[in-house]
Amino acid sequence: MTETGPRRVRGAWRTGSGGPLGLRGRIGGPWRVAVAEASMTPSISEGDWLLVDPTVGRWPRRGTVVVFRESGSGDLAVKRVAGRPGDWIPFAGAWLRLADDEAWLLSDADDTALAEAGHGQAVDSRAYGPVTVDALVGRAWFRYWPVRKIGRLPKAPAVPFERGPGPAPTQD
Amino acid sequence: MIHRVLAPRTTVRAHCDLPCGVYDPEQARIEAESVYRIIEKYAANEDPTFRTRALVIKERQSDLVKHHLDVLWHDYFKPEHLAVVPNLHQLFWDANKQVSKVKASTSIDDAKKLLELIDEVDAAWKATGGNTKTRVAGRPG
Repeated sequence: MTETGPRRVRGAWRTGSGGPLGLRGRIGGPWRVAVAEASMTPSISEGDWLLVDPTVGRWPRRGTVVVFRESGSGDLAVKRVAGRPGDWIPFAGAWLRLADDEAWLLSDADDTALAEAGHGQAVDSRAYGPVTVDALVGRAWFRYWPVRKIGRLPKAPAVPFERGPGPAPTQD
Repeated sequence: MIHRVLAPRTTVRAHCDLPCGVYDPEQARIEAESVYRIIEKYAANEDPTFRTRALVIKERQSDLVKHHLDVLWHDYFKPEHLAVVPNLHQLFWDANKQVSKVKASTSIDDAKKLLELIDEVDAAWKATGGNTKTRVAGRPG
């Protein structure tokens, strides 16, 4: 959040853009997106309109909301970064270490609240695993609709997962 | 006017559903047909070993019917579908209750009633566009 625009652009350029189209493709957007579905409630609701910075080339810090292309469906999706490259993630009773280009993306809503509202389970990294940086589309940072909720998106506390008794890191 | 200018052209999903999105009441119906047939076979055979086996199979397939009905109810149907099918909750309640009845019975009429209720679920699924939206390239004819 403290980085300036030009620095982010240079970073995207240096890391080889992080997208199939490169930096030129990224400037094309999307800069504004509308949110469908409810897995980011209560922080982001269905129908909210967000501003996106599509020039990011690396996974932003934990707690940041990102737009990315979901593997499988290929749809654009919005989730929050819960783990960054190199982090250990508790998963299926064991520990998983994210590779250099991977992030762990989670929903804000808890499954009980979703079920009460008549929705299915949230679909995020718990369902499709780590997401590689080439699927990253941008960083959502500002909500400009509805009017009463205009402002910077609330950031979740960037609490890293406590490193578990996982296997020793492999050489990389 | 301003609203239209500001509106984003891109939609992002805060995704919350099974990723496959494939649903079809046929899955429940096939299991219910197994139950129907096994009751027919039960009635036609006096052998106690065969009859025991038939009851075990009936119990197992009945549980599968419940499972498939629940997946449709919890995952496929959404609150907005109630506008199209106002009796949706009553229908699933009746259908699941009927499965419980079939489990405790060897009457072919109970199994037939279950098939009819599943056909009503099928009609609700079609009325909400399920046959074109939830199967790959639509439901096979």
